Amino acid sequence: MRPGFRIGIGAETLWDGADRVGAKFAEFAEAQGLPAAIRRGVSVALDELLANTIAYGGAARIVVDVTLHPNRLSVMLIDDGKPFDPFGQEAPPAPLPGTALPLEERSIGGEGIHLVRRMMDDVRYERRADRNVVVLTKRL
Amino acid sequence: MEITTRTEQDVTVLVLVGHLDSNTSPEAQQALDAILAGGGRKVVIDFRALDYISSAGLRVLLGTAKRLSQERGALRLFGLNETVREVFEISGFATILTVVDTEANALRGL
Repeated sequence: MRPGFRIGIGAETLWDGADRVGAKFAEFAEAQGLPAAIRRGVSVALDELLANTIAYGGAARIVVDVTLHPNRLSVMLIDDGKPFDPFGQEAPPAPLPGTALPLEERSIGGEGIHLVRRMMDDVRYERRADRNVVVLTKRL
Repeated sequence: MEITTRTEQDVTVLVLVGHLDSNTSPEAQQALDAILAGGGRKVVIDFRALDYISSAGLRVLLGTAKRLSQERGALRLFGLNETVREVFEISGFATILTVVDTEANALRGL
């Protein structure tokens, strides 16, 4: 069996749960000796996607499944919230519209998903039965 | 996340340790609000011990930078690690916020 872990978080404790997922991933990455840059990149991606789902997705339960393959790390997030494809928007041309605006005109929106796309090597979404399933891949 | 502040003449130096993400950004927001409420207008943030930042953290920085700019103050950051720098570059923050390499350079001319 490949190294990995699965962790579930429930309704009352979603925000605390996101923290637990982050801590669990950090511990796993440390134990597996994953490079710091990969560990931090995946931590950012997890934070962005969990925060989105918790704030807007109306999920009661989220499961995070992490598997370490010989040359890639795979992270699956499954939630029972309303159907939502975080990557449904076309990938914006780089730089993101607005990223070149001066400070006074700058606002933040969609930044998190933009970060996830850029920091991961592959991002996928599918609606499977009544679950949202997001799969992130980071090459090692 | 661990946050400490100290003052160097009229500059407040905020040291962030850990992660600046959706869980910890309210804490950082409070610390920055307290500095502004106390009349601080020149703020330097020490990122050397900050492991990573997510968009929630960027939002806190942007809000603070805007308020300081309106008050004719200044915000400078130094000591960003590789991942934090990458997040800044992807989001365009590297060009709208003042990022320098060392504390000495951050304090110079403030």
